Amino acid sequence: MMRRILSRPFAPVLALAGLLTSLAVAAPIYNAGGGAPRAVFLELPARLPEPEVALRADPLPSGRWRLTLAARHFRFTDICVLEAEAVPLGHAHIVHDGVKLAAAYAPIVDIGPLPPGRHRIEAVLRAQDHRAILGRGGLIKGAVVIEVPERAGGV
Amino acid sequence: MLRVTSSSLKSGAAALIIFATAPPASGHEAWLLTPSEIEALALTPVPFVFASVAVLGPAAGLALLAAAVALALEGRWATIEERASPWLRGLVPSLGAAVLRVGLAAMLLLAATGGLPRHGTAPWTQSTLLVPDMQLSLAPGWDILIVVQVALALILLLGIGTRLAGGVLVLLSGLGLWVFGAEFLSYAPHFAAPGLMLMVIGGGAWSADALMRHDAPDPLTGPAAEALWRGARILVGAGFVYLAVAYKLTQPTLLIAILDHGDFPRFGMTYDVIALIMTGVEIVCGALLVMGRLVRPVALVILGAISFLAVVLGETPLFHANLYGALFVFALAGARAPGPRPSRAAWRMA
Repeated sequence: MMRRILSRPFAPVLALAGLLTSLAVAAPIYNAGGGAPRAVFLELPARLPEPEVALRADPLPSGRWRLTLAARHFRFTDICVLEAEAVPLGHAHIVHDGVKLAAAYAPIVDIGPLPPGRHRIEAVLRAQDHRAILGRGGLIKGAVVIEVPERAGGV
Repeated sequence: MLRVTSSSLKSGAAALIIFATAPPASGHEAWLLTPSEIEALALTPVPFVFASVAVLGPAAGLALLAAAVALALEGRWATIEERASPWLRGLVPSLGAAVLRVGLAAMLLLAATGGLPRHGTAPWTQSTLLVPDMQLSLAPGWDILIVVQVALALILLLGIGTRLAGGVLVLLSGLGLWVFGAEFLSYAPHFAAPGLMLMVIGGGAWSADALMRHDAPDPLTGPAAEALWRGARILVGAGFVYLAVAYKLTQPTLLIAILDHGDFPRFGMTYDVIALIMTGVEIVCGALLVMGRLVRPVALVILGAISFLAVVLGETPLFHANLYGALFVFALAGARAPGPRPSRAAWRMA
């Protein structure tokens, strides 16, 4: 039946017209909500308090560095899922000078030794499916700057 | 006229269903972005060209016009195709089958062993189902799929019982939907389709199947073969339409960020416009494949487009070996199942 219809000269053009018209009308309605791409970001319901995270960095006697992530309205888990619920649960990505360094599945994480110099370490909260949790002002993250002196470099 | 209008309504309804069912899937491309690019992406608004009927309407009109012109020229193109057709179709049971088998085998083997991980995951640490994103560690109890994929890969590589292996690949694609849910919709059609194609073509001339028979088993013919081929064509086309809507049309800022990340050539346009063109091309090409029109040219256009994008983004072709294989075979065979190998006389006449 469908094959017979599609074999008519104008049928493919009309079918395409239906498809493209529907998409041209529906897409602006869908996109009107704005919002960041759902493939990368998870927005929490507005009724939930927005999570916060603060970082503290402590040197260890071995020369390594330990980060403590003090999170509010957020719980850490090492359980990853394919599609996360919109709840404040997950882990954090640790970013060192713009490059992902590690994933923290608990509030305390060892990031190893750092070379002498100034280092900016950030923790970005992620959902259980690794999507970045989105707050009202963008990503939810905390940062700390570590100054590693020459003699205490540890590397 | 009523029937013709119904095809238009059906295609429109299909488009709306895609909107309704699009999951919050994470395409592997998202993993290409750096932390600072993701931070910027979080605050990037949807571009005007994707949020306005005043732009999308005329853009859809232009896409329709281009498709209508291409369809009007289909007759002329078909004349050229007819001349080359026996030669091209003759390559399906040898080169086509080999490309399809080896590409799929490589993907299966690397998925099972974690050799082709998504960005940010260490190689050889996470077994997946068919594609880098579908990590089996997220599907407890399905470790058996590692063994199934390795066995299927070896079978395809050697070309033993290829038609049966094609059927298993179709089942595996369906099983992926069962195990991973709607997330797997992004991948299932593009693996089920090559499975159907293998059921028609068989292992081809360069396979153990052929060696054991001392000849290449011919592709299947008849209504069953045509039905399987049509199914493969519809799955590939519908897969492209789905991906274009779920990832490009409704998440344009992600595509634009990826183009920016890869420093994609601008051709004198903004990335917003390039993203819109890419979306339109994917939707129109996918729809034409579903309808079985201009199959060879469409296969070549998509092959060229995904190859160019992969080169620009520095991606390994193994990420999409299933698609390269399927499109290559469509470019050889066209809309209809390849049929038996042509005789030497037919080749000379061509």
